[in-house]
Parts: sequence; C-alpha cells; structure tokens
Amino acid sequence: MDAIESQPADARAAGSRLYGLYVLALALCLIGNLVMREGAQGGWLPPAGQLILALLATAPLVVAALLFWRLLRRDLDEMLQRIVLEGLAFALILYVPLAALYLNIRTAGAWTPRLDPPDILLTPALLVAIGIAIAMRRYQ
Amino acid sequence: MKNALAVLRAERGWSQADLAERLDVSRQTVNSLERGRYDPSLPLAFRIARLFDLRIEDVFDPEW
Repeated sequence: MDAIESQPADARAAGSRLYGLYVLALALCLIGNLVMREGAQGGWLPPAGQLILALLATAPLVVAALLFWRLLRRDLDEMLQRIVLEGLAFALILYVPLAALYLNIRTAGAWTPRLDPPDILLTPALLVAIGIAIAMRRYQ
Repeated sequence: MKNALAVLRAERGWSQADLAERLDVSRQTVNSLERGRYDPSLPLAFRIARLFDLRIEDVFDPEW
C-alpha cells in the first residue's frame, strides 16, 4: 500500500503492480467460475455453495477495482492519469464493436471461435493493456 | 509544444528526478515534457513557470 500512496515518481511501478494485482484478481474470479461450473456438473457443490463461491471469487476484483480507482484519482500525476484514461477509452471504444461483430457473425452462422464468459471477461483487460501501451508510446 | 525545460533544469544543475520532486510529478512526466511529447495542463505550466521564476511564455512557446 505504501508504494501505491508514495510520490508520483513511483506511480508507474505502482501502476504496473496494480495492473498485475487486477489481472490476478480476475484470474481468481475465473478460477472460481471454473470451480462453480465443475461443482455444478459434478453435483458436489450445492447451489448455496455456488453462490458463496461466486461472491468470494469476485471480492478480490472489487478490492482491486477500488485500489485502481484510488490510484487513478489520487496517486498518478496528470500525464500518467491521461495515459491510463486513454487506455481505458481505447478498450471501451474497441470492445463494443468487437463484441457486436462477434455476435453478428455468430448469428449469421459463420464460423466463430467458441468464447466462454471467461474469455469475454478477459478481453477488456487485454484491450486496456494494449491501449495503455499505445498511449505510453505516444507520450514517452 | 517545445519548451526550455531541459535548459532551465540544466542551468540549475537539477536532475529530472529533482525537478519531478519539486513539481510533484513523476520523472517520466518531466522526461516527456522536456522532449515535447506531452503538453502540461495550465496549472502544471504555472507551477513550472513559478518554479523557475519566469512567465509561462518564457518556458513554453508553440512557435518553437
């Protein structure tokens, strides 16, 4: 936490660590999702257990989201804020047409890769990373 | 936008890290400012000008 709260000089490293934490939390969420599905199919995880696991698996992601928001608002300087915001904008702007294209092609009956909810969940995180990399190249 | 930040900093014998600390920004931001890759907000431009005891137009010039 101290690293995240420290001066802007450390902000880039803190941002990288936080992005790693975010991806780790996302991975935990997806593992929880996998265990829930296996448990439901195998019949060894009752519905109440699935619900508890669903909440527990998502909790790290909520914490990571709050930390990310705090880093963005308080700890990054204006240029680093701009880089992150451009990365987020890139991801949002690209994700919607990509998702719409995938749905339309799938609806048209053409071959599409089979995407599970975890794949769809990972796509924005990947797009944010690409967007941040593009913005960093622009400003640095 | 070009600026005289690198020259002004060098005249004072400051490193990029020193300037970053004085401006409360990251060293990466100072580097990008000096290379003209990032244009500062107006508040940051005022902070920079005040730090060097100059006017904003003495530090930043869009005509450069």
